[in-house]
Amino acid sequence: MVSIKLKLKKISILKREFVLTKGISIFVMIKNIFMKNILLGLLIIITALACDSKKKPSADEISSVLDSVKIEEPSISEDVISDIIQQIPSPLEISTLLKESDTKYDKSYLNDPEKISDYNSNYKKALALGVYGTDLGYTNIYEQNQDALFYLNSIKSLADDLSIGQFFDIGTIKRLATNSKNLDSLLLITTKNFNNINNYLQEQKRSNLSILLLSGGWLEALYIVSRVSEKNPDNEQLKETIAEQKVIMDNVVLLMSFYKDNDPNIKQLSNKFTKLQEEFNKIEIKTVYREPTYEVVDGMLVVKDNSTSEIIMNDENIEAIRNQVYAIRENIIN
Amino acid sequence: MKKLIFALGIIFISASVQQSYAQCDTEKHVEACIPKLQSGFTFLKSYNIDGQGGAKDKVEYSYVFTKGATYQVMICNEGSGTDGIILTLYDSNRNKVASTKYEGSTLSSIAFPCQVTGIYYITYTFEGSSNYCGGSVLGFKR
Repeated sequence: MVSIKLKLKKISILKREFVLTKGISIFVMIKNIFMKNILLGLLIIITALACDSKKKPSADEISSVLDSVKIEEPSISEDVISDIIQQIPSPLEISTLLKESDTKYDKSYLNDPEKISDYNSNYKKALALGVYGTDLGYTNIYEQNQDALFYLNSIKSLADDLSIGQFFDIGTIKRLATNSKNLDSLLLITTKNFNNINNYLQEQKRSNLSILLLSGGWLEALYIVSRVSEKNPDNEQLKETIAEQKVIMDNVVLLMSFYKDNDPNIKQLSNKFTKLQEEFNKIEIKTVYREPTYEVVDGMLVVKDNSTSEIIMNDENIEAIRNQVYAIRENIIN
Repeated sequence: MKKLIFALGIIFISASVQQSYAQCDTEKHVEACIPKLQSGFTFLKSYNIDGQGGAKDKVEYSYVFTKGATYQVMICNEGSGTDGIILTLYDSNRNKVASTKYEGSTLSSIAFPCQVTGIYYITYTFEGSSNYCGGSVLGFKR
C-alpha cells in the first residue's frame, strides 16, 4: 500500500515537473506511446484468441477454472453451518437397514472405484469422496472385505488430493479389512476418520467441501436404497425410508444455499437438488406426539417412544424421486 | 497503584480461567466412551462437552434420528460418574423426550427406540459439576 502511494506521488511530481518545464508536448507524446502500447497489447491478445478460437475449452478445463476461483465465505456463521452439517445422518444407517431387511449385496449399485482419474477438480473429488465413503460403508456392512479394499484405495487417493489424507491410517484400516471379525473396529475407524475430516474442513473454513462430501455420501445412500426398492417393489419399509429422506433433503438444500451465490459448481448442483426437493415436497409426514414412558435397565434409561408418524405418499412419488436421484447421481459420478 | 494491582488481578484471573479451559480434554473422555456403548450398537458420532469452566451453561448438538432405529447416547467422565452433566433429549418441536436426571438419580446413558424420523436435540447441562468437562457418544442399532 505504502509503495503504491509512493509511486502515485512520484507520478504526480513527474507530471508537475513536465508542466513546470513546459514539457507538455513530451508528456502528451509519452501518453500517446503508452496508449499505443495498450492498443497493441489488446490486439495481440485478440489475435491470439482468434487464432485459437477453434479449440473450445473442455468441460474439465471450465470446471478446473471454476474450481480455482476463490470461494467467498458465506454470510452465515460457520457455527450455524456446522450445526446443520452435524445433523446429517451417517449413510451407514441405510446400509444397515438394507442388510437387516435381508436384501442381498449387489456390487453393481456402487460406483466403480477405478474411476478416480475422472475426478479432476476439488468439487468433483469432494463429491466422489462422499460417494465412495458410502460405498465403503455398504461393503463393510455386508462384510465384503475385498471390495472394501478397492474403495479404501480410491478414498485415500482422493483424500490425499484434497489435503485430508492424513486422517486415513490406510495401513491399520487395510489390516482390519482383511479379517471380517474386525468389522466393528473397521466401522469405528472409518466412521471416526470421516467425522474427523468433516470437523477439520469446518475448522479450516472449507465447509463447502464438507457439504459436498456429505451431499455425495447422502445421495449415494439414497441411490442404493432406491435401486434396492425398485428391485423389491413390495417392500414398503424401503419406500418409507426413501420418503423419510425428506427431512435430510431440506438440510442439504439449505446448506447448499449458503454457498450457491459464491460457488458456480454448488449453484449448479443446488438447482438439481432443489428439483429433487420439489418431488419430496409432494410427500407429507404427519406426526402425533405422545408422552414417552421409561424404565431403567442396567443403569441405562430406556425410553418407550409413544409418538407416531404417518407418511402420505404413493408409488408415483417414489418413482419420481428415484428418477431424479438416478439422474443427479449419474451427473455426479460421470 | 490501586489501578495497577486491579489490572494485574484481572490478568491473573483471566489467565487462570484460560488455563482451566485448556484442561478440558474432551477427546480423552470421548475415547473412553466409545467402548462403553452397549453390545450391538454401532458408533455414529462423538460430542465434546466443554462448559468452559462454567462459563457455558449448555452444550447442544443435533442429529436426524430415523424411525425403526434404536439410538444410545452416553456421557463419559472420570470414572463411572457424570460429574453433574445432565443429558436431555428433545424432539424437533422441542418436546422433552428423555433426561438422564430421572427419579432423583443421574444416569449416564439413554437408549431411544425412535418412532418418528426427525431432528433431535441432544443437550448437555451442568448441575453441581466440578470440571464442566466430558465426552459423549452416539450409537445406533437396527
